[in-house]
Amino acid sequence: MSGEEGGKLHVVTADHISRTRRRWGSGIVWVSAALLVAVMLLQTLDGIGYLSLGFETWRPSLYAYLLWSTCLCASQVMIRGEHGKRTLFVLPAALFVISMVVFPLLFGFVIAFSDWNLSSPDGRQFNGLDNLRQMWGDSFYWNALGNMVWYSAAIMVEYAIAFGLALLLNGQIRARKFFRVAFLLPLMLSPVAVSWMVGKSMLEIRFGPIARFLRWIAAEPSVDLPAPLYYIGMLSHEVGQWLGWASPSFFGSAAVARAMIMMMDAWTFIPFMMIMILAGLQAIPRELFEAAEVDGASRWRRFWEITFPLMLPVSVTAILIRIIFKLKLADIIINVTSGGPGGATDSVTSFIFREYRDRSNVGYGTLLAIFYLVIIVIAMTILMKLAERWMKPRY
Amino acid sequence: MKIETYKAIVSAQMSRRNLLKGAASAGAMAAVGGMVNSTMAVTAAQASSHLRAEILGIPGVGKGSPTDADWQRVGELCLGATRDRIAQGEFEGVELTFLGLNNQNLHNFLFRGFLKPWEAYTGAKINWIDLAQADYNPRLQQAIATGTVDFDIIEMGAPFEGETAGKGLLDEMPDWVADQIESDDLVDYLKPPVGTWDGKTYRITIDGDCHTFCYRKDYFGAGAIGGSEVPRTWQQVNEVTKALAGKVDPLTGLPAHGYLDPLKGWGGFGFYFLENRAAAYAKHPDDPAWLFDPDTMAPRVNNPAWVQAIQDVMDLINTPGAYPADQINADPGTTGFQQFLAGTGSMLMWWGDIGSSARTSDTSVVGDVVGFGINPGSDRVYNSRTGRWEDTYNEAPNMAYIGWGIYVTRRVQGDARKRKAAWSAAAHLGGKDISLWTSAYPSGFQPYRNSHFIYDEWEAAGYDRDYIEDYLGSNADSYNHPNAAIEPRIPGIFQYYSVAEDELAKGYAGQYGSAQETADAIAAAWEGITDQIGRESQIALYRAALGL
Repeated sequence: MSGEEGGKLHVVTADHISRTRRRWGSGIVWVSAALLVAVMLLQTLDGIGYLSLGFETWRPSLYAYLLWSTCLCASQVMIRGEHGKRTLFVLPAALFVISMVVFPLLFGFVIAFSDWNLSSPDGRQFNGLDNLRQMWGDSFYWNALGNMVWYSAAIMVEYAIAFGLALLLNGQIRARKFFRVAFLLPLMLSPVAVSWMVGKSMLEIRFGPIARFLRWIAAEPSVDLPAPLYYIGMLSHEVGQWLGWASPSFFGSAAVARAMIMMMDAWTFIPFMMIMILAGLQAIPRELFEAAEVDGASRWRRFWEITFPLMLPVSVTAILIRIIFKLKLADIIINVTSGGPGGATDSVTSFIFREYRDRSNVGYGTLLAIFYLVIIVIAMTILMKLAERWMKPRY
Repeated sequence: MKIETYKAIVSAQMSRRNLLKGAASAGAMAAVGGMVNSTMAVTAAQASSHLRAEILGIPGVGKGSPTDADWQRVGELCLGATRDRIAQGEFEGVELTFLGLNNQNLHNFLFRGFLKPWEAYTGAKINWIDLAQADYNPRLQQAIATGTVDFDIIEMGAPFEGETAGKGLLDEMPDWVADQIESDDLVDYLKPPVGTWDGKTYRITIDGDCHTFCYRKDYFGAGAIGGSEVPRTWQQVNEVTKALAGKVDPLTGLPAHGYLDPLKGWGGFGFYFLENRAAAYAKHPDDPAWLFDPDTMAPRVNNPAWVQAIQDVMDLINTPGAYPADQINADPGTTGFQQFLAGTGSMLMWWGDIGSSARTSDTSVVGDVVGFGINPGSDRVYNSRTGRWEDTYNEAPNMAYIGWGIYVTRRVQGDARKRKAAWSAAAHLGGKDISLWTSAYPSGFQPYRNSHFIYDEWEAAGYDRDYIEDYLGSNADSYNHPNAAIEPRIPGIFQYYSVAEDELAKGYAGQYGSAQETADAIAAAWEGITDQIGRESQIALYRAALGL
């Protein structure tokens, strides 16, 4: 340990870095940076047609960036010795993130303000705020955003169900382990599989078991049945008729179709919230409940005064993560309804999918995605701030 | 041939009668050959006939699905044309990259087998890029847009000719290739302008596509619930469909339905189905254009003909019981496979898959009662030039998607040997004899040459004559129709279809006030796409696609 030598516990060797070495360290960074700037400048000029240098790809810029990154890392050691080596634990990762996240995001902003249809012979053209104006008047997009409000609101119902299930699974019930695994199964299924198994097969109008079951309920009972069964059958027939189950339709009207999408999505992700809440429930000390019980608190009061407040941090986390999942909802919609009927089930992501993929409208599609990202960031920030306030102890 | 077609054939085992018929047919063909004076011609004809009979026997009707060994054997047997033009080992050291599909383990899988003997003979090596159908369009679009075409040969649909040939990305087909593939044999609609751009030919056709009319025979005839005659016009189709509401299906005992319109989008492909109706109204025999005005690219989708087609669909939506429940959520896959084949509905327009699956699919119950025809016509046709309806019968089969072809990219242009190798490989896949095999066995391709409709050959191979004549006949009649509605091969054509699907979905859901409003919304969206892609270039490319 070199605590005495360097005065810093984390420095293990004393470096004696020469002035020449420092110069070389700075030199390779500045030279490689100059090279990077020069190559990128030349490629940009070539790209916009100002020069004709025959660049076919942007790989030269990539190679210049890699060279600069390597020189930057090397210079840390050359200039700062042992301290530089510590930097190397983080710097490559930071450079990687910059190249794989920050740069594409910046490039995404450039594309978002471009007129770029892949079929256009003119390629990408900067078009200022035109895409924003188009978005402003795009009823499909605002309709999809409106649907997202409905889809997100459904999370509160999912949360209530998940909490109930978690309470059940936290209790002393038979086959508890089996049920825990069984309830988790939907989460293990791909939403694509769910959309085909449930949306396309079980809810199929003619052969699907759910449609057949509803038709069976709405069917008129046989007069040969014993009187009690006949009356029950007539009651179910009347109710079924009133509900339109004689000819069930799961995706024919906007409200029902949206509800079916919500249910399929909920079925898949309620287990996720349930398992988080269950983990939280198991972390609550039993002594609190025992003390409350001794004080004469009822079950209901114990829930509202102990369980629910103590579960708030977990609940808020589960809800926030679920909102993030929900905002990406697309696969079930694309597979089952393609956003229909008339856009009633469209999510922002499924709409962008069509705009971007089916119509190759890269510029406008990117703007919609960026705008959505901004909305999500703002909304999540507000939600987290509010959650922070809610989670402060009341006593 | 689609895989379902092959299964249909497999299920129709060769009978003694068919065998004798085949022998008689072969004898008749030999007799015809004998009438030719030239001994050489006789020998060639006999050799060709023998070859065609031989490859149709690989693996043979009723012998299971072909394997890679079968594909290689067919490729080897059909190598004669290559041997005539290319010296052994002539392309030693040449490497080619081939981009194609891997749908249902067909397409590229077959090409690999077919080209293996070609590689062995010529010495060239082929590297393969296999893509799923869903990934194909984005991959191709991105390659084109970013200038990163990294393949020498591509399997591509004709609708993309505007994106590729129009941008100079393809290599013009040498004359010797046209001779080798005997392109005169193509059915009429696949001849130029299809496959050409600005007068230059780029395509080796390996497939044909069209929508044909499928109907239930038990719905029509004396005393049948649908009337005595099969509807011939879209007006009759709608009348029958409305009249069938509330009746009972004679086969299943469930509610009877008439025509099945897919009301939900299908990645742009769903628009073809509205086109079927609109073609009869909008495709005037004197005018090759029917989607856009060729002088201005103004959409015709909101003219009275198209509005009538949309109105027809809306009329059925507003007729209780005309469509099955939830039809608003039915895409073409649903109408074809989950409804028509399963006994729901009595009339349908689809590609060849449905006709063939009817006899073989485990879920099909309509195999014995299905009949085929061309796209229904109309009692009147709209003339866009005069802006008036003409009270005359009109029919216009919809050549939806036109079919796959093999193209060579400009990457080969710097190297004469590589260019020749690429075209030789492509020509091998597009040869006349090999195409008979792909028509008869699972390949992903439909018949597309006049020589594919020699029913004697099919019968000799073990096919049921009536079935083949009915099913293939509807294809042949559509292909060779003088007023066929041909796909406009312009850039972004599926963008137009995709946005039209979205607007139609709103119209069908009642969010627009009328069919005209719906059509106007589509037209406005189409104008936007045209402006974005570039109106002047679109006009030029559209006119080139129409051969104007």
